[in-house]
Amino acid sequence: MKGLIFSVKRYAIHDGPGIRVTFFMKGCPLDCWWCHNPEGKAAGQVTTERIERIGEREFRSEELVGMEYTPGEVLAKAERDRVFMEHSGGGVTFSGGEPLMQPQFLVEALSLLRIAGFHTTVDTSGYAPPDVMKSVLEYTNLFLYDIKLLDPHAHRKFTGVDNRLIISNLDMLLEEGAEVVLRIPVIPGVTAERDFMEQLRQFIESRRGGRISGISLLPYHKTGSSKYRRFGLPDRMERYSQVSNGHLDDYMEILQPLGIHVRKGG
Amino acid sequence: MTERVMRLREQSLNATETLTAERAQLITRFYSSREAVGLSAPLLRARAFEYLLQNKAICINEGELIVGERGPAPKATPTYPEISLHSMQDLEILDGREKVSFRVDDEVKRIYSEEIIPFWKGRSNRDRIMERMTPGWLAAYKAGIFTEFQEQRAPGHTVLGYKMFLTGFLDLKREIADAVASLDFRNDPQAYDRNEELKAMEIACDAIIMYAGRHADALEALAAEEKDEERRGELKGMAALCRRVPAHAPRTFHEMLQHYWFIHLGVVTELNPWDSFNPGRLDQHLWPVYKEGIESGILTPEEAYELLGCFWVKFNNHPSPPKMGVTAQESNTYTDFCLINLGGVKPDGSDAVNGMTCILLDVIREMRILQPGSMIQVSRKNPDLFIHKALDIIRTGFGQPSVFNTEAIIQELLGQGKSIVDARNGGASGCVETGAFGTECYWLTGYFNLVKILEVTLNNGFDTRTGVLVGLNTGDPSTFSSFDDLMLAYREQVNHFADIKIRGNNIIEKTFAFHLPVPFLSLLLEDCIANGKDYNAGGARYNTTYIQGVGLGSITDILTSIKYNIYDMQRFTWQEMLTALRNNFEGAEEMQYEMIYKTPKYGNDDDYADAQAVVVFEIFHDAVTGRPTPRGGTHRINMLPTTSHVYFGNVTGATPDGRKARVPLSEGISPFQGVDRQGPTAVINSAAKIDHLRTGGTLLNQKFSPEFFEDEESYGKLIALIRSYFSLNGHHMQFNVVSADTLREAQKHPELYRDLIVRVAGYSDYFNDLGEDLQNEIIRRTGHGEM
Repeated sequence: MKGLIFSVKRYAIHDGPGIRVTFFMKGCPLDCWWCHNPEGKAAGQVTTERIERIGEREFRSEELVGMEYTPGEVLAKAERDRVFMEHSGGGVTFSGGEPLMQPQFLVEALSLLRIAGFHTTVDTSGYAPPDVMKSVLEYTNLFLYDIKLLDPHAHRKFTGVDNRLIISNLDMLLEEGAEVVLRIPVIPGVTAERDFMEQLRQFIESRRGGRISGISLLPYHKTGSSKYRRFGLPDRMERYSQVSNGHLDDYMEILQPLGIHVRKGG
Repeated sequence: MTERVMRLREQSLNATETLTAERAQLITRFYSSREAVGLSAPLLRARAFEYLLQNKAICINEGELIVGERGPAPKATPTYPEISLHSMQDLEILDGREKVSFRVDDEVKRIYSEEIIPFWKGRSNRDRIMERMTPGWLAAYKAGIFTEFQEQRAPGHTVLGYKMFLTGFLDLKREIADAVASLDFRNDPQAYDRNEELKAMEIACDAIIMYAGRHADALEALAAEEKDEERRGELKGMAALCRRVPAHAPRTFHEMLQHYWFIHLGVVTELNPWDSFNPGRLDQHLWPVYKEGIESGILTPEEAYELLGCFWVKFNNHPSPPKMGVTAQESNTYTDFCLINLGGVKPDGSDAVNGMTCILLDVIREMRILQPGSMIQVSRKNPDLFIHKALDIIRTGFGQPSVFNTEAIIQELLGQGKSIVDARNGGASGCVETGAFGTECYWLTGYFNLVKILEVTLNNGFDTRTGVLVGLNTGDPSTFSSFDDLMLAYREQVNHFADIKIRGNNIIEKTFAFHLPVPFLSLLLEDCIANGKDYNAGGARYNTTYIQGVGLGSITDILTSIKYNIYDMQRFTWQEMLTALRNNFEGAEEMQYEMIYKTPKYGNDDDYADAQAVVVFEIFHDAVTGRPTPRGGTHRINMLPTTSHVYFGNVTGATPDGRKARVPLSEGISPFQGVDRQGPTAVINSAAKIDHLRTGGTLLNQKFSPEFFEDEESYGKLIALIRSYFSLNGHHMQFNVVSADTLREAQKHPELYRDLIVRVAGYSDYFNDLGEDLQNEIIRRTGHGEM
């Protein structure tokens, strides 16, 4: 069983507690306008052109996006940074793309890591068949769970899919007692609105029985746009700006009464 | 910061670095006087020291609470013609050069041309050294295979231990009398030598007490004229203090600082030891007397804080002695490498962090001046809060304090045969150099260019730059059938140059023992008095001589590229590669690109590359470690460059890692600039693969952009990063926190960034004072946060 991974980040400090190694997995069922990792969207390997420079001169080479890893190779990679994880209370995170798109590999990798004593985190859009979501539950210490929009229509418009499955999966995880950190992309013109934040507060309020241990507001950054150029994809966010820090503070204030730790960034 | 300290700090920052002929003139007058005739070397040096302290001008700056300057005024920097003699041309260069200049006025030039140069020409220790070196040594030195520390400065790298904070020079005189009384002229053939040395030490004791007395006289005279009543009281108090210390052991906080300062002045007036002497574990030394003062009510925290501010300024008033010739390029800085150690463990092994640690960290943060430098020793036993407080300073981009691993330092020292208590009392001085404070005489002798030696190997023993045969004929590399053949040849060349260097070291050590004893410095190091033996002759309890390897990252990438591209992947042949190197990659840009972008590199936790780092480390270690030195010590290695990687890069042609000719080499054990692409954990894992515990210090520079310090959580992660590296026995790590954009702006508008301090390599310096190539290199170094 092999998994397709398009990037491995070490000293990942925004993908769960402590110092982590994050594996970014290929393939995603969503099509978010603001996606920061567009190279992760397609399920298979893609080739792209890589440009590197020495002084003025450019050198072009073909680069394969997506490397095959066995679960054992994932474990070996994690082992290299174990000392940092132990000192920081860190671990391993699977992100993407959507890691649940490769469920068999993910379960195998997670279980291997857990047996070896690693803390595991799955960073997910929540858009996966319920039985797939359930299958990783046992081996996952923490879910970073995206809530992108609450209105189903808007959700469909900006991400390409309906959010009902996402919400029912979330409720299922909370029901099962999983620890969840909600991640809210704060997108200008989409979710960067006081109204949305008010609704979000109510949404979370009604789920206070579950183990929601944190809320992360992820402000939209323009950093993705160079990738769009590189991969020759249209950037639908071109006309949008970034979110100001002041607005972000307002939104944090709206969510504060929940009594759940709210932070900016991962 | 009080107004007084603010004023003194401003004064120090604004003072112009000048070269003063005072010391040169005095030492010349003494050496040419009747008094100097017929004396044994120790007595000659002791009398010269006495003469200097008797006649050098006393400088008392307005408002200061700690007195004494090395020169006649702040930043007036003396020279040491008995060590090395500046030529008229050197003086012109120092005066005129853009960076790290020293103003040399016409009077100084006149004194030099009329008195100093005529007397010392051909008679300085540098002349003596150069005369005694073999053609092989001189050729290797000129080729840039190694440098020689003692060529322009006296051996140093010594730090004060606690004993001298509890001992007056009258106490030392009693120790000397005891040692003299126990001399056995019947059975000890060296009794006469010991007696001469002990007599010299006694003269040195009297000299420093006399020097303090001259300050007391001056202070009393000032007090008599002082209109302001408060200041008059201060001056009188300081005069009384100078009558007491350093003759007697200090009793109060103020006395202790002044006591140390006189000792410091004595050391740097006697000679110009590398690297500047310093008080070592200052938080430990000062804590008891501080606590006592507060408890008994004779000291307030505010007073102590102000005194520390005054004390700090004194270090900053002393730029490093002006250099000459190639050394100016090698180590081009005003920094004199005083490194205050904080934290670590006590002699009994328990956590040494105390209230004074926190106070001193506040002083460092608030003073924000180049000297003294500072570091924290981080032990498993120290609380996170201590590191946290240091990170608060580091995050401001000041480059201080650097971060050291106490457990590694202790194990390094134990491995060298020190007692556990002496090891726990140790620390790091200079950049990162391990030593047992107060008990060890450890010399750094020169940087060793590991990359250039490979270049020589690739050219069958020739230096391509000078066309001279400097190494051995180990064969044309294209005849090497395997990578192992190349490594055998490289090992032979490293051994060859280590032999040359060590042979030179042994002679140079003797010139110091023979001609330039340091009776004053010898008083401060345990067991010189008991042994009746000079610091420069092996009198101290422990003696070590270091050679510093430079370019580990570069040499690793070079060897990896050869193994990968020629042998394993067979991408190109030896002929193709050697031709490309000769042409500095002109017309071979594709090859250069493959070497830079498509070849494994050190610093990415890639075992294929890192394996070469380990092999090179072992070759260098085996070539040096364990070889005896004339003063009864042992040769050992450490891995630090100061700024020699720029000079060494400058003399090295294009290399198989894709580096063009003259570009700086990698520094310390850090990866070559910009090649580490996997973040700090990978760098740490690569760096931890060599055995730090068999060195006397390694230097790992990690650049971080400020966002890695943004909140409590990021702090926690940095602390974990430090603790992780240290659990892998890493010796030292320094953080460069600054954005590349800021630095580029600083290059464009230096006038707006006069306060910008960056970490260079084991020490900090003003960005504006660095040469342009070094500035560019610092900009290039990977900022992990900017990846």
